[in-house]
Amino acid sequence: MKNFESLFAAYILVWGILFVYHLTVGARVTKLQQEIERLKAQLKQ
Amino acid sequence: MTSRDKTNWAATLGVAVLIGIAGYAALYIAPEERTMHEIQRIFYFHVPSAWTAFTAFFVVFLSNIAYLTRRDLKWDWIGVSAAEVGLAFCTVVLVTGPIWAKPVWGIWWTWDARLTSTFVLWLMYVSYLLLRTLLPDSEKRARICAVFGIFAFLDVPLVYFSIWLWRTQHPQPVIGGGGSLDPTMRWVLLTCWVALLGVMILMVRQRYRLEALRHDAEELAHAVEERAR
Amino acid sequence: MSIVRAAAIVLAKELRLEFRSRELLTTTLVFVLMVIVLFSFSFDPTSEESRKIGPGLLWIAFLFAGSLMLNPSFAREQANDTLYALRLAPVEPFAILLGKILANLAFLLLTELLLLPIFAVLYNVALLPVLGRMVLVLLLGTLGMAVTGTAFSAISAQARMRELLLPLLLLPVLTPVLIASVECTAGLLADPAELRMSWLNVLVAFDIIFLAGSYLLCDTLLEE
Repeated sequence: MKNFESLFAAYILVWGILFVYHLTVGARVTKLQQEIERLKAQLKQ
Repeated sequence: MTSRDKTNWAATLGVAVLIGIAGYAALYIAPEERTMHEIQRIFYFHVPSAWTAFTAFFVVFLSNIAYLTRRDLKWDWIGVSAAEVGLAFCTVVLVTGPIWAKPVWGIWWTWDARLTSTFVLWLMYVSYLLLRTLLPDSEKRARICAVFGIFAFLDVPLVYFSIWLWRTQHPQPVIGGGGSLDPTMRWVLLTCWVALLGVMILMVRQRYRLEALRHDAEELAHAVEERAR
Repeated sequence: MSIVRAAAIVLAKELRLEFRSRELLTTTLVFVLMVIVLFSFSFDPTSEESRKIGPGLLWIAFLFAGSLMLNPSFAREQANDTLYALRLAPVEPFAILLGKILANLAFLLLTELLLLPIFAVLYNVALLPVLGRMVLVLLLGTLGMAVTGTAFSAISAQARMRELLLPLLLLPVLTPVLIASVECTAGLLADPAELRMSWLNVLVAFDIIFLAGSYLLCDTLLEE
């Protein structure tokens, strides 16, 4: 296959970029959920 | 598992299957292209990514209008989610373009019409997101960004047209490749687009959830502050 | 009071305000002159090259000028909350916006017309035979800048870092105006000189679309 490496790199990048973005959003979601739990606990006191 | 979790899992699974089918189709079902051979298969994700980015930005436009007419913050959340996701797909286009161009044309960038327009689009929506960070009050932010978003989207056809006209008058190598498409290729292209749309919807939903959570956290923080007084 | 009359009053106020100190006009003029001169150091233009890159440089210089000049349009209203006072007046909100757009158009056009002969001399281009058509291109292109820039000035005035924000918002959106204006100008400087109608139509389309957009969104733009 001609230029297989470039094709490979491109496909990896397509999914890589989308995946990384998805993961960063997920990480922020988890962080916020923890923050909310902490604030709720603070409110209960 | 709540029913909401179940639908989330089902949706994710469905999209994963779609991606699998699309990937297989792009790599094996689509016929080999005459001049560019294997590298041309980038086309099956490069072009649909551009279409998906465009769809996402259209969603931003609609949510901007919806916010200005209804003033419900949820529309603003949809707007920022779709804008970020659209930007991610835009980045994909801008990255895969040069990767395709280098083996075929020997240069990374050719100011090809579609790529250049996508670049301008990318800049506009980066500005949109930047504008958001510079407006701390949530209602003001929603309103101002909605106005900018509407202007930006109204500009999009003008950007594409003017850059296309510019390129037809000063031709450069076209990265997308011109000409008509083999019907099998067309099907694979559409399949890939559907798969990417599925990914887009999942990502927008998750990002929306983040925005809603952020809003809740803010309100809770306020409540804690009020209590402390 | 009709929109036109109210806009004229706002226009008169803006002009009077600026001509009292003329600081914006002079600073921008000097800045753009410097940009044009600096470009010539980077490119060392001979006559043939000038005709090719001249239009692009000219319009980039104008874009820079615009980014500088359009900021105070709404930024200066923030200091004493004068926008609120303006909106209390029994006039259509679009009249206020239109007055400012016309004022910005006037300032920008003035700067450009003053710079045009200097550009012609420094870059050795023949502007006199195409002067009328050149002014038309200037008018349509600058109108695009003024309409968009005034609206975006209203947007950025409410945010932080507004001096940096305005060019950031404005420049990508003005891409069609830049390309079309440069192509029109290049056509006029070419041999034989021609007015490229397709590009002129792009400018007209841009102006109409963004004026319409400003009209439809003017209430929200002026909200605080």
